[in-house]
Amino acid sequence: MTALTAVSGRRRRTDRAARGVLLALTGVALIPLVLVVYYLLKRGLGAISWDFFTTDPTGSFLGDPGGIKSAILGTIEIVALATLIAVPVGVLVALYLVEFGRGKRFGNLVRYFVDVMTGVPSIVFGLFIYIVLVTSSFVGVGFAGWKGGVALALLMLPVVIRSGEVVLLLVPDGLREAALALGAPRWKVALRVVLPSALPGLITGSLLAIARAAGETAPLLFTSAYVLGTSFNLDGRMNSLPLQIFSDVGQAQDRLVQRAWGAALTLVALVLLLTLIARLFQRRNRYT
Amino acid sequence: MSIIRIAPALASVAALAVGVAACGSGDTGNSNSGSSNSSKSSTLSGAGSTFAAPVYSEWANQLKSQGITLNYQPVGSGAGIASLQKGTVNFAGSDPALAPEDKQGLTKGKAVQVPMFFGAITLSYNLPGVKQKLKIDGATAAGIFATKIKKWNDPAIAKLNPGVKLPATNITVVHRSDSSGTTKGFTTFLSDYSPSWKSQYGADKDIKWAAGTTGAKGNDGVAAAIKQTEGAIGYVEQAYALQNHFTFFDVKNAAGKYIAPTLASTTAAGDGLKVPADLGISTINSPNKAAYPIASQTFVDVYHDLCKAGMSQSVASGLKKFLTFGLGQGQSVAKQLQFATLPSSIQSQAMQAVDGLQCNGKTL
Amino acid sequence: MEAGSLRLPPGGRSLDERSPASRAADPFFRWGLTVLATLVLALIAFFFIFLVSKAQPALSKFGLLGFVFKDNWDVSRNIYEAWSLVVGTIVTSVIALVLGVPVAVAAALYVTELCPARAKGALTILIDLLAAVPSVVYGLWGVFVLIPHLKPAEQWFSDTFSFLPFVGGSVAGPNVFIAGLILAIMILPIVSAISREVILTVPRDHKEAALALGATRWEMLRIAVLPYSRSGIVGASMLGLGRAIGETIAVTLVVGNAPNVPHQIFDQGYTLAAVIANEFGEAANNPLHVGALIAAGLVLFVLTLAVNAAARAIVNRTVPA
Repeated sequence: MTALTAVSGRRRRTDRAARGVLLALTGVALIPLVLVVYYLLKRGLGAISWDFFTTDPTGSFLGDPGGIKSAILGTIEIVALATLIAVPVGVLVALYLVEFGRGKRFGNLVRYFVDVMTGVPSIVFGLFIYIVLVTSSFVGVGFAGWKGGVALALLMLPVVIRSGEVVLLLVPDGLREAALALGAPRWKVALRVVLPSALPGLITGSLLAIARAAGETAPLLFTSAYVLGTSFNLDGRMNSLPLQIFSDVGQAQDRLVQRAWGAALTLVALVLLLTLIARLFQRRNRYT
Repeated sequence: MSIIRIAPALASVAALAVGVAACGSGDTGNSNSGSSNSSKSSTLSGAGSTFAAPVYSEWANQLKSQGITLNYQPVGSGAGIASLQKGTVNFAGSDPALAPEDKQGLTKGKAVQVPMFFGAITLSYNLPGVKQKLKIDGATAAGIFATKIKKWNDPAIAKLNPGVKLPATNITVVHRSDSSGTTKGFTTFLSDYSPSWKSQYGADKDIKWAAGTTGAKGNDGVAAAIKQTEGAIGYVEQAYALQNHFTFFDVKNAAGKYIAPTLASTTAAGDGLKVPADLGISTINSPNKAAYPIASQTFVDVYHDLCKAGMSQSVASGLKKFLTFGLGQGQSVAKQLQFATLPSSIQSQAMQAVDGLQCNGKTL
Repeated sequence: MEAGSLRLPPGGRSLDERSPASRAADPFFRWGLTVLATLVLALIAFFFIFLVSKAQPALSKFGLLGFVFKDNWDVSRNIYEAWSLVVGTIVTSVIALVLGVPVAVAAALYVTELCPARAKGALTILIDLLAAVPSVVYGLWGVFVLIPHLKPAEQWFSDTFSFLPFVGGSVAGPNVFIAGLILAIMILPIVSAISREVILTVPRDHKEAALALGATRWEMLRIAVLPYSRSGIVGASMLGLGRAIGETIAVTLVVGNAPNVPHQIFDQGYTLAAVIANEFGEAANNPLHVGALIAAGLVLFVLTLAVNAAARAIVNRTVPA
């Protein structure tokens, strides 16, 4: 087959150059990831040790700065609480939107407002919770881990709702209609048919929301505050990995800066792990 | 599937947990008090001055064995007082004495300020090529921080340091971005020697700095900024400067002598101080011949009636123990960190104030 | 894909009949879910109203226009006019767009059109992983890696190109350019992911027609793909812009925290989000200061709202939901 128009040398060169530029820019896009991981490993690995994970930060000016035990435990506690609040509520609201809210004005209104919530900067959430829960005497004045959990839940909620809605919509209506035809009431259809079918996607969405919440600093600044010791009391101040890093990053002491790198490495490992699990899970359970 | 069955149960458990936690935290101002299980141990929370933070954290380490856990947040004197006003901490660390507007916001009772120790605010700089000790006076410092003097080899600096080869590097001014007692002390010193500084910038915990200067959080942040930038100059408390091996200026004091910040010159700043009734002393620009001119005092601010302000009995007595320790054994700990101890007259007045702290009308 | 636990009893009719008992639960179920959704709606409404009411002291004292357009953020004198913050927010975001969007779109184009199939999955995951790095880690990396390593290059650029507007003068360590650069890295994954989806919607016919007419791969992209996906890419960029505007922690660590309007790209600056993070602690008992910070948060909220709404409208036109 002969070409209708011959490709001139100039056009061929432009083509090759343009494709080269695109490839180069894609490489540029990957450079930051490589550099971040490289420096995290280079400067953070030195801090990692068994003691690092099992001792609390001491706050001592001259002596041993301690490790990040309270930060790790605190992150786990606060994020767990946030998940317990955000995932059930989020899934149920997504269920509402899909089962009863499709095409209805109220459903559209809820969906629109949830979309609005996705765009709210996390610091505005933190400020809101600070004023409503921390400084007012509504629930008792003071910083508390559970207040941080609530702030993170607010952050996770729109993500869970939106991703949940997408996943629930993917469940074929035929399944619903079959169940209804067999005589099941609406609530059984929703809870016993639709939810189980969408479960893998819901889990993926929740994992991604958790990964995002685990890395957030701004909301926790205002709500759970930074503290040295390990605490299992959600009603008191609680340390967390992002706050630990934020506190150490502005320090002049090399040991504290190194601890910041070690904590950052730990946090990134945690978040990357969650993200990768979510993505792999998603690939294995793809519907179509 | 079991997860669907569990989900509503999980949600209600979560709601219950939140509800119980919310009901349980009715104790205003000290949600930590419930976490201690023995009557001998208590958890204190404080916030404020980064200037004093090194000493408070060492005291906290030593008091752990006595069952007292101290959580001190070094957020700057301004935020410390705001936290005390809001009731989110038991005590505030503040370098400057309480101003009338501060006292106005402390509505849970009468406020008491207890002087703790003195420290030197060094004028540290990062000039690796200059080995000699440099001299400076208040007017030149004001010129630098107002960005009127832009390079290290400016004639104003050279005049005070004859024979020293100063590089042509740009001066990067580093100051505090948060509301800071260290800033207030330093700007008070500058205002005393430069009328143009006084009128344009004034002396306060937080001022509007000139364009082109770098702001950092806390004494540690300023130290970090100085460390990372060649040609930088900033004001940091001495413990931070020593820890990072900074070089700092000898500063001209009111008597006309160039004084280096040392334990002796800082202590000299506290000699012969007039002590007002509310213990609100100030050691900046002391007239003593041997005194370092930028020495600052620091206070712990508490309410006179601790329990009425919202603390439990155990926390209140823990706080009193902390303050008593600080004014007693703690003074030698402060000295190790190069902070000057209180002269005995001020120390006894401070102890009196601490002894008078009450819980619901009864002395602790 | 199993249909729950509906089991057929042997030889029987169906099963979970709509017995009165199970039917009775239906309205409660629907009602319960509706209440929950309404609560979420009420929460969001409360959130907005609350912010507006708390911002009142500052907005009424300086006026909304005065707050946004006048330049004097002076905490010690209790004056809160936020123009320098608004400019700082816009400048850092614009730098982020200028640096980030071309790279993101190029990566999206490469991955969807030019990349060998085996590498597609890996490349996609790698670019998306940029979104997994927390903001505070980017800040840490920016302070200790980017700033010191880029300072000499920045100084060289500033000296060599000082004839350009907004370039020239001495380079401060933390500055708006570095903040914009880090924001560019942070918005890269989201702009790239959405651009990818947009580019995937280009009909194969268009692309094959161009190729059949003898276009080279690049010309095909230029003629068939880019024009078709242009509005979607604009939408993706605006979503990235929305993210950049609201980013706090990474920015506050590298922007210099100086409430002055930056005159050149290597000056220190300040953003609306950063000022909230830095000053909320000392503002706690000063209603005017708190009101000013909340007003800054409101301006931020409204900005991101407007940008995101516009972006969504554009993207939804191109990509079927």
